[in-house]
Amino acid sequence: MPEINVTPLGAGQDVGRSCILVSIGGKNIMLDCGMHMGYNDDRRFPDFSYITQNGRLTEFLDCVIISHFHLDHCGALPYMSEMVGYDGPIYMTHPTKAICPILLEDFRKITVDKKGETNFFTSQMIKDCMKKVVPLNLHQTVQVDDELEIKAYYAGHVLGAAMVQIKVGSESVVYTGDYNMTPDRHLGAAWIDKCRPDILISESTYATTIRDSKRCRERDFLKKVHESIERGGKVLIPVFALGRAQELCILLETFWERMNLKAPIYFSTGLTEKANHYYKLFITWTNQKIRKTFVQRNMFEFKHIKPFDRSYADNPGPMVVFATPGMLHAGQSLQIFKKWAGNEKNMVIMPGYCVQGTIGHKILNGQRKLEMEGRATLEVKLQVEYMSFSAHADAKGIMQLIRMAEPRNMLLVHGEGAKMTFLKGKIEQEFSIDCYMPANGETATVSTNPSVPVDISLNLLKREMALGGPLPDPKKPRTMHGTLIMKENSLKLVSSEQALKELGLNEHQLRFTCRVQLQDPHSDSDTLHRIYTHLKSVLKGYTIQHLPDGTVMVESIVIKVSSSADDANTKVLLLSWSYQDEDLGSFLSTLLKKGLPSGLC
Amino acid sequence: MKRDDWSGVSGEDRVSQSEARWEKLKHNRLRCGIDGEMEEANVEDILDDWFIESLKTYKDLHVYQLEHPTQVIEWTSGKTVCVAGYGSSKNEVLELRLPLKLFANENKGLCAERDFKVVHGGFADGPVRCLRHVPGTRCIVTSDGLSSNLQVWDLGGDDSDVIRRTGSVKGRTTASEGVSRIAARPSSRPHILHGALSGDIQLTELTSGKTLYKLETDSADPLSSLQFVGDSVFLAGCRNGNIYVADTRTSSAPQLSPPPASSGESEPWWTDASAGPDPSSCRVIRLSLSGEAAVSDLRNPGAIVSRARLDVQTHCRCSSTDDVGLSLAPALDCIAVSGLGRAVQIYDTSVWRPEPQDALPLFEHRGHEVSSRQSDEGSVPALVTSHVWHPDRPRTLLSAAADGSVHVWDWVDRSAADAPAPGAK
Repeated sequence: MPEINVTPLGAGQDVGRSCILVSIGGKNIMLDCGMHMGYNDDRRFPDFSYITQNGRLTEFLDCVIISHFHLDHCGALPYMSEMVGYDGPIYMTHPTKAICPILLEDFRKITVDKKGETNFFTSQMIKDCMKKVVPLNLHQTVQVDDELEIKAYYAGHVLGAAMVQIKVGSESVVYTGDYNMTPDRHLGAAWIDKCRPDILISESTYATTIRDSKRCRERDFLKKVHESIERGGKVLIPVFALGRAQELCILLETFWERMNLKAPIYFSTGLTEKANHYYKLFITWTNQKIRKTFVQRNMFEFKHIKPFDRSYADNPGPMVVFATPGMLHAGQSLQIFKKWAGNEKNMVIMPGYCVQGTIGHKILNGQRKLEMEGRATLEVKLQVEYMSFSAHADAKGIMQLIRMAEPRNMLLVHGEGAKMTFLKGKIEQEFSIDCYMPANGETATVSTNPSVPVDISLNLLKREMALGGPLPDPKKPRTMHGTLIMKENSLKLVSSEQALKELGLNEHQLRFTCRVQLQDPHSDSDTLHRIYTHLKSVLKGYTIQHLPDGTVMVESIVIKVSSSADDANTKVLLLSWSYQDEDLGSFLSTLLKKGLPSGLC
Repeated sequence: MKRDDWSGVSGEDRVSQSEARWEKLKHNRLRCGIDGEMEEANVEDILDDWFIESLKTYKDLHVYQLEHPTQVIEWTSGKTVCVAGYGSSKNEVLELRLPLKLFANENKGLCAERDFKVVHGGFADGPVRCLRHVPGTRCIVTSDGLSSNLQVWDLGGDDSDVIRRTGSVKGRTTASEGVSRIAARPSSRPHILHGALSGDIQLTELTSGKTLYKLETDSADPLSSLQFVGDSVFLAGCRNGNIYVADTRTSSAPQLSPPPASSGESEPWWTDASAGPDPSSCRVIRLSLSGEAAVSDLRNPGAIVSRARLDVQTHCRCSSTDDVGLSLAPALDCIAVSGLGRAVQIYDTSVWRPEPQDALPLFEHRGHEVSSRQSDEGSVPALVTSHVWHPDRPRTLLSAAADGSVHVWDWVDRSAADAPAPGAK
């Protein structure tokens, strides 16, 4: 029975380092190559020694697929391809391909330049790695090789996030990456067709949560911004150039318009152009509303949001500033933060995750005294707010996706098995499918039952019809005879005559023969007649003939009689039958060995 | 800068703006059928309006969507609640942990955790119409409304996420008499008080199934509520407005108080009472379908202390009244009413007088109505199916509606905001 193996790589059942190996139909695929943001040592990368103990991965992997640009899904990519060694194709969508190297470079700078770590990938490695990337379009089937094909579906979550279907022959697997089933201000909801994969692989991180609505998250954001503005404070929002920034800008723009607010909002320099550039490129990845309004006006050219000049930071009165980078580790956002940190009227809103070693990470952990370069300390008096806008499918979303794709098996990764018995039971009950939860390094094996398409010749069907009997009932299996031939990579069921013809073979007859000795003091022809009479009485309903050439035939079985050269009373019977009548032939030989009854005339 | 001075438009104007939009939207829908993104945008606008308005009226607001609607919300600890489906066949019983953000006192801003977590779950074969947690245990008891028998469940511990059915409790009658009401209180050997009619109330020990007490009454009226108000004293509220107060330690006849005299047809009635160490501190509230409310004292439930005519729009008169909820606030002189109109209403009972008078709600939570307009069958806003007060946070409630929404909200006390007078509640 063919099977599909799925192995999440890494240590323990923990979140934040997606890397899953799938072997399907003889192909090996790596899904995501993420890093763990909580570790500084080897544990931050997946354990690639699982694939091979020595050296390069190229010959063990047919391809690598990256679902989206978050570092817990792509952060280990340059390490894997350039330091461990992999030269095969890496697939990701166009937006992911554009954004992923920027994030990797940002992260490299923090790790190497700020924290002084060595043994980390270099800028050149990021570039070399990205050269191996093959871009994917949504809903386009990409042939990795003759047998392996992949197809990307829209996943919501972040710009460019994709779910991916992997197919070999009639076996298939869908990997969801991170996805979101409810549209938000700038992205749509995940969608997949009823592709009925053998396995649907999903993250289980949010499988047991019920999410607070996006609007309530936004409401709190507006409330915080407004509170600070009202007391005359300044609000700093450190952002990554793409993604949440646009969403929050649309939100603030709407709010300012409705509330008729006057405090200025600034977007740090360079950010607007960069963002506009990307959104123009990837407009098809945003939601319908944005796509539509983009025709009339650029959604990201705002009425209330103006470009920022560094001199504005010292202006009196309230203001809101969006500035990069998002983790306060360098650049404009850090400069502004240093200026404003001392005033408790001010506020910094961190709309996303911050990696260890950054100022963002420190202040989110409640640190109020920061050591800056040159031994100076910075006292943090401003209000620090952490808001998560991440768009993930929750328990309900996972069920919705299962309903959409109708998988034959469900597989949840990164979950704590014991705490998910209910969820497993729920999925198994509601959809009558098996649900697997392998721990990292543990393999889940799913047997598949791939259907093999076979063409049947029209002649064979017509002959079957001509044989009479009722017309075939589509719901009931019916036996028919034919010859299965494999020709030009396809299977055909044809009549044996046609098979011989097509394959250029001669027909052979297979016959069994056997001799039976018998004590019978009659002439040969009398003995033959006695056999004829005997068989007639034993085998009712069979065609039995006494032929003039001195043979008896029972169906295809031929019986001849001759006398032994030594003893005229010893008769030798020659039996011969074709392969098809094997049962009857052996029955007759056994029967005749017992001799003829005496009362026969 | 004054707190309210943050826009050129007052709150009231904003409400009317969103109302106008809604009216226009309804009109459009009638004219051109359910279609078009204009309308979709309009619904979005109404929601945006409501959320912007909510910045002033709520301290906290969290909006969740369950897969299946619930008629029960029951606290199982200070941080967890149970909800359960009421579909005709298979249903889920879930224990949810409230988000950390709701409990963070210091550094609230640093706590981004705002989701419910499903900590335990189980499957029920029938609907769950009533659900009660037995204090001091990990045990819940449910009624499916199909018979007077109850189901007993173990919520499970830290090592598992499964809620398991562990047994059942036999009711006094076998026939279906509507939903059994269940009351529980802390005790060394867990027992529950239960019954669907005033005539079949009994106290059953959970482990042994032994009947410890039976209430003897002359009539058998369907119950709308059943609760302990002291260690052994309990109150049973009937749909016809009668109240029985009895003590499980004695077999003496219960104290019966008929409903307050009312103008016209008023059945059914709903009742709630506050619990306390002595009867003088226990208040009883009764509310009729027509909106007549009366507060009395447990020592003499027949004597009305104060009363009012509530502003309930009873447009569910023709449909089921199963969903109606009435509750006394644990920390304020307030009541919450849900299931009669589309909103959850809060009334301040401290201003009521012995003579009946019209009372306007102190606060209305219209969130379920507004957000259910978003769904495609939008023309019928979802009815509120249940609500509970937070035991410790005075103005925090949880409410659920027929569209599966669950809201956690904490309203802003306008009187305190406008004039922080000394002695304000």
